[in-house]
Amino acid sequence: MVNILIQGLALSGLYALLAVGFTMIFSVGRVLNLAYGVYIMLGGYMYYTAVQVMGLPKIGGFLFAIAAGIAFAVLTYSILVRRLEGNPVAVEIATLILAVVMQSLIILIYRPVSKSMWPVVQGVFRYEGVFVTYNLLVAMVVSWVALAGLLIFVRYTRYGRAIQAVSMDRKGAIISGIDPRRMNLLTWAISGALGALAGVFFATYTQLNPSMWVGPLIVAVAVVVVGGIGSIVGSLIVAHIIGFMETFTTAMIAAELRGVFTMVLIIVVLVVAPKGLFGRGEL
Amino acid sequence: MALLEIENLEAFYGRARSLHGIDLAVEAGTIVGIIGPNGAGKSTLLDSILGLTRTKGEIRFDKKSLAGLNPTQIVGMGIGYAPERGHLFPFMGVRDNLLVGAHTVPDEAEKNLETVYSLFPALRSREKQETGTQSGGERQMVSLGRALMSSPRLLIVDEPTIGLAPKICDDIASALQRMNRELGMTILLTEQNVNFAMHLANDIHILETGEIRLSGAAGELRNDPQLRAAYFGR
Repeated sequence: MVNILIQGLALSGLYALLAVGFTMIFSVGRVLNLAYGVYIMLGGYMYYTAVQVMGLPKIGGFLFAIAAGIAFAVLTYSILVRRLEGNPVAVEIATLILAVVMQSLIILIYRPVSKSMWPVVQGVFRYEGVFVTYNLLVAMVVSWVALAGLLIFVRYTRYGRAIQAVSMDRKGAIISGIDPRRMNLLTWAISGALGALAGVFFATYTQLNPSMWVGPLIVAVAVVVVGGIGSIVGSLIVAHIIGFMETFTTAMIAAELRGVFTMVLIIVVLVVAPKGLFGRGEL
Repeated sequence: MALLEIENLEAFYGRARSLHGIDLAVEAGTIVGIIGPNGAGKSTLLDSILGLTRTKGEIRFDKKSLAGLNPTQIVGMGIGYAPERGHLFPFMGVRDNLLVGAHTVPDEAEKNLETVYSLFPALRSREKQETGTQSGGERQMVSLGRALMSSPRLLIVDEPTIGLAPKICDDIASALQRMNRELGMTILLTEQNVNFAMHLANDIHILETGEIRLSGAAGELRNDPQLRAAYFGR
């Protein structure tokens, strides 16, 4: 049981990191970015390319992955989403198509086969029947450091407050001298960085393949829908509910069913509490 | 010297024109009131100054045209705006709401925060209270305070007394007077509360269905039979 709890805690930290960038974009821009899974995929593939193909040190791999995530997110917003502002359905369709195009590009470059990622940290932690990979523990610690940094940035810095302001009242932000488009761009860049960072650990937890953007996207949507659209803290709590639920399902019932319960949870919450469990429509 | 000059201003919502050739000047250091009923175009006029509506005509602030500038640039030039219903950030505390107002002047944030707290002492003790949980009067104070945080030379205020108790209206009036007299701030405000506007303003303009019908010094218009008939019923 302790083993399941620790595994669940570690996986939940990773899920929280996976979901929070998606939450931020919805809160500030009021659009669902269905290309969000691409940041995760790009993060994994760029780290793989840097470390396992080019032989760069791991820190270089992380920087390469994060830079790719930021660049892709900023380009997506500047070239595509900004032109579709005010039409969320068009944004959702366009970003979904973009994700499929990116999947095809990855297949073209890396072939349609799965690739194994070396763990960022080797080894397994064992203590009195408890065992969990150091890789997943490091993923949890990095996730929490990144999320704590994000919360401090959003709550206590000038630009963080500006992002919150746009998410709560766009006109109020504008008349305070804040340019919502710049804040959107900043939010997309942060989202790209967080997604790519999560992608490196997610790829080491599973493996690299061109459809790996779908699973994390479903987790992100689940966390946002169940947590309540727009709430970072709500997202963190729900990431843990889903992480633990999946770990318990895998250990106690069947690994094949682990994603099913997440989907059922989405449907139940949509019916019973359409605004989510913690939603209040802002960061 | 006119700090704000508006010439032949027209404003549009889609194809509908809501302001029809407005001419207006606000002298530096004065308080100017725009009086009019619901739907007269008061908020549209103020939104137009901030670049929030599609307009034709000319708006100049400190002799510089505002044409083609976005609201961020206009706020940065020294125009603060406290809109109707505040448009505050409901899940942020009072202090954070105020600090957002200093976005364009981060170096002046602490100094301006002290100025706001000296004008509205009640806000200091409620720094952490989320504005979504405050009373209408407190929210109006935060709205005015947030507008002050950008170090404006011109403060525009949309219906500051709407829905407020008489005592709170008096507090708001004295705060606006202090801003004008002690801080040297020029103020353009809209009101349906004629007595409030007449009491505060040096000059008054009557706005109806998107046109200015009557203009003059507050002292003169107070006795104008046309105005008395329309707004005081005698």
